[in-house]
Amino acid sequence: MTTPTMQTAQQAKTGRKRRIRGDGVWGYAFIAVALLVYAMFTAYPVVSAFFISFQHYKPLGSTFTGFDNYAATFRDPLFWKSIRNTLLYTVLTVPVALVLSFCVAILILPLKRRLQTTFKAIYYLPVVASGVALSVVWLWIFDPMPAGIFNRFIAVVGAHNQNWLGSSATAMFSLVIMAWLSSHGASIIIYLAALLGVDESYYEAAELDGATFLQKLWHIVIPFLKPTTLFLLVTGVIGSFQVFQNAFLMTGGGPDNATTMVGLLIFNNAFKYFEYGKAAAQSLILAVIIAGISLFQFKFLGKDVEY
Amino acid sequence: MTRKAHVLASVLALTVSMTALAACSSNSKDNGASPSGSQSPAGSASAGAGSSGAKDTITALLPPVSSGFQDRFEQLSKDFNAQYPNLTLKIEPASWEDMTQKLDTQVNAGSPPDIAFIGSEGISKYVQQGMMMDITDSVTPEMTDDYDKTPLEYMKNGTGLYGFPAYMEVHAIGGNKQFLEEAGIDWKKVQKDGWTFDEFREAIKKGVVKEGNETKRYGFVFATAGVTSKDYLNILIKNAGMPASFTTDLKYAYTSKNFLEVLKDVRVMIDDGSMPKELSSIDAGKRWNMFLTGQTMITGKGLATFENSANKNNAKIDANDGSAVKGSIKVDYIVLPVPTFLGQEPKSSTVVDGYVTFRGKKEPTAEHKANVVKAAYFLASGQVAATTNNDLFAAHISKSGRKAAESMTVNRNPDNVAAVQTLLSHATPARPDIPAELGAKAIKIEDEVIIPKLQALLANEIKPEEMYEAVKAAAVKAFGADGVVTD
Repeated sequence: MTTPTMQTAQQAKTGRKRRIRGDGVWGYAFIAVALLVYAMFTAYPVVSAFFISFQHYKPLGSTFTGFDNYAATFRDPLFWKSIRNTLLYTVLTVPVALVLSFCVAILILPLKRRLQTTFKAIYYLPVVASGVALSVVWLWIFDPMPAGIFNRFIAVVGAHNQNWLGSSATAMFSLVIMAWLSSHGASIIIYLAALLGVDESYYEAAELDGATFLQKLWHIVIPFLKPTTLFLLVTGVIGSFQVFQNAFLMTGGGPDNATTMVGLLIFNNAFKYFEYGKAAAQSLILAVIIAGISLFQFKFLGKDVEY
Repeated sequence: MTRKAHVLASVLALTVSMTALAACSSNSKDNGASPSGSQSPAGSASAGAGSSGAKDTITALLPPVSSGFQDRFEQLSKDFNAQYPNLTLKIEPASWEDMTQKLDTQVNAGSPPDIAFIGSEGISKYVQQGMMMDITDSVTPEMTDDYDKTPLEYMKNGTGLYGFPAYMEVHAIGGNKQFLEEAGIDWKKVQKDGWTFDEFREAIKKGVVKEGNETKRYGFVFATAGVTSKDYLNILIKNAGMPASFTTDLKYAYTSKNFLEVLKDVRVMIDDGSMPKELSSIDAGKRWNMFLTGQTMITGKGLATFENSANKNNAKIDANDGSAVKGSIKVDYIVLPVPTFLGQEPKSSTVVDGYVTFRGKKEPTAEHKANVVKAAYFLASGQVAATTNNDLFAAHISKSGRKAAESMTVNRNPDNVAAVQTLLSHATPARPDIPAELGAKAIKIEDEVIIPKLQALLANEIKPEEMYEAVKAAAVKAFGADGVVTD
């Protein structure tokens, strides 16, 4: 004699067994690989960093230090300076990068497929090129002596040669120029893919109504591309907050820490001074800041975005 | 088909999982004897100590110390094995760029190589981590007696000895013989007797060549971009009565008034027009290019090996070889001493690099330790050291190295050889008495205050007094008012 409740439970159990015995097993097997890799190379380091942030880390035995690393970070003027530098860099680079990528994608869109692919490849090339190699080229462009490319360029308009990377007045601006003029490949391709997804009928209808290019851009393209823009904005801000390579290779954070970004500061604490606890604490603070900004972006910019 | 796909997926999943697990479990192989995983039972405690002749593998992480150094690795391993048939020397090559990162990663994972080639200034950092292997009780008197006292001292920290020195190079400056003579500078006298800052300042003024408002040649260009600015200041302040960051009674030295005077002189050379106003962005490659293309009379820092580089470029110019530096002229490189400041004694800044010894997470056995010492000594003495140092034009610092070098010929300017010997005679002594913790704090002040402020000073964004006050404030914060020099 079985009650209805027991029957339901029995059925559920049998169903689960069936799912596990069938194709479900293979589904779990496939997920397990990705999950294992994620657990080992993403989740474990994050959890480990969390514990290390409360320690004075040493390979032969760490000591628990409570919130000392966090307190030291909040007291450190260099940390706040690096946050300010990173914010400034983000504000100056991300919006311009988005506008540039959008404009290039718009310009490429009407081209024939083969030409489109050629331009996509050209713009994507810096993404696959070595950052170190690119930095060498940029160091040559920013050569402080009169023979430097930028200095020759400004000499045409009668300006004196500038110590681009060696002066606090121009070092950050030089890194920003570098960001403006390189590596928009991924954003261009994403924008282009989104543009190709806009149904032709919208443009045709607008043309029938006598819409100009700018009107089509404003009333059709931009609203349709809002989810793409939000995605690129969020990932761009995250990437910009984690920026490290340019400052490390071009200025080393100088002069007078004018280009010390928070990523570089964390790197220095971890790999230069072996202060892994402090570096881990700073990484987690940075993660919280990035999460906060991303939430803010989703909340205020993603209100009418549908995926 | 579906079945095949399932089998394939399973194999793939298993492979990924096993690879990942294998990567995680590498530490479990650490038997404590060989930090990098000795492949023999020699490393185990039961293998006994001393020279039992049990098989053992010693690992070494080595950069391209000289041009042909890494090409000789296979031969080095063979020669070592011929000398010690039970031992295997396994050398892992690394580029100079990767060396620190590779070593730091291995050290922090608790599995460093037995031997690594690093600068002696890096020893305190690893001692603090507890990952260096003190070999004091494993070296023989014959080994230690082989070395000159000063460079060997650099391999010490506190009472521990952590390896053997490969060479001791003097940080000098280098001049273009033709330009020096055109400027009326008696460089042979300078090589012999040195010069004061005032004499140096007048000399580099004479080296400046202008065409209208444009400077065609500077008197002195030193690489100061980024971390190289540290070298610039360190070289100067050693000759201003501050041979180390701490005095003998362990007070932080760079709060001395002499430090401020050197900073003023750093600025004055740029204001004179003897050095470029863009100095803060000139890196090592740029200033060497400026030297070879005749854009500066004197350059720094100068190492003995630069004579070799200049000679090679001269030969390329003679042979119309397209790989000669573009726009370069033939240069006779002259080793010159750094000027002295404020009537202080000359103290040459030196760099001592060597083969340092590491340990793993577990305590190494006495036998493995002895084997590591044998390998480090093999690399840092005799024929190996002689060949490497000759490649670098570096002075020999061991008796066995000097003896092995007797049969080798090196094309060096004898005046430069004598000048380097003079500089080595007043080399800054090592300071193993500075506790690692104090040393680490001083390095942090250097990285976070001195270098950034010096960059700003060179760019004319702050005054020498502002930099001095910033350094003083950081030092007082780190060491207390009683822990710094007040004069």
